[in-house]
Amino acid sequence: MAEVETKEREAKGGTGLRRPKRRTGVRQDMTPMVDIAFLLLIFFMVTTVFRTPQAMEVNLPPDESVEVPESNVMTVYVDRNSQLSYRMGTGPLLPIQRKDLRRQFQDQARLNPDLIILVKVDRKAKYEDMVNMMDELEFANMERFSLVELTPQEAEELMGMQ
Amino acid sequence: MTAMVDVAFLLLIFFMSTTQFKPPEQVSVTLPESGSEIKVPATGLIVLTVNKQGEVFIGDESGATAAVPKGELNQAILNMRTRRPLAHIIVKGDRAADFGAISDVMDALQETETNRFNLMTEARADRGD
Repeated sequence: MAEVETKEREAKGGTGLRRPKRRTGVRQDMTPMVDIAFLLLIFFMVTTVFRTPQAMEVNLPPDESVEVPESNVMTVYVDRNSQLSYRMGTGPLLPIQRKDLRRQFQDQARLNPDLIILVKVDRKAKYEDMVNMMDELEFANMERFSLVELTPQEAEELMGMQ
Repeated sequence: MTAMVDVAFLLLIFFMSTTQFKPPEQVSVTLPESGSEIKVPATGLIVLTVNKQGEVFIGDESGATAAVPKGELNQAILNMRTRRPLAHIIVKGDRAADFGAISDVMDALQETETNRFNLMTEARADRGD
């Protein structure tokens, strides 16, 4: 590859006192350069970030309260241990797993198109729980829901249930 | 071999010129995952960072942040919004932060009539099904 063709120099003067030296092709070892090139290439490929962070859109309503009949409310509780439970209207409190949540939302919304979802999260629960919850709601096409903190009494009540 | 070296250098130049190094972050945050597909804009942001301990920082997209003492959040948000009225508000919370801390930030946003904001998350590959 790296042969440099060197034209043999013509002997000057043409006296022919010295025979021009026969030059062999110069061989340049390119391996270290290629090594460095690949090293840098790998470095930049690895450090390049293609994934930019995502955003979840939140639109808060103006600060005003709305009255809703209790029978239209589905309340989902998230306690401080990330355990989920729900209650339909004033019905009994039932535990639920996260993976069943979406189906539950969809089923209940089909039964009652006026369903309002109220998500009550313990202050000591993790932010991740809240995001997961919002995610599940979005997957179930529940764009409108209400997010509130658990009152200390409710939190105690929830912990007492287990 | 010359061809391979050519390609290698081409790629090298491509990656060198396209790489944007992340601005050094003063507050390290592990973002939660979500299936949301909205991209965070690169400029014009007001970033409210909440770290694992629930401390709140306010800053912009460059990564420069200032800690906000408790009780001064409303004022800090208002100041920032007056300075940059067109900026998007992004809440960047650590996934292990208490919900209470985030809830306080959201309350502050509601009180300052910032009714539209985004929560910064990491992309989740699956939709959980």
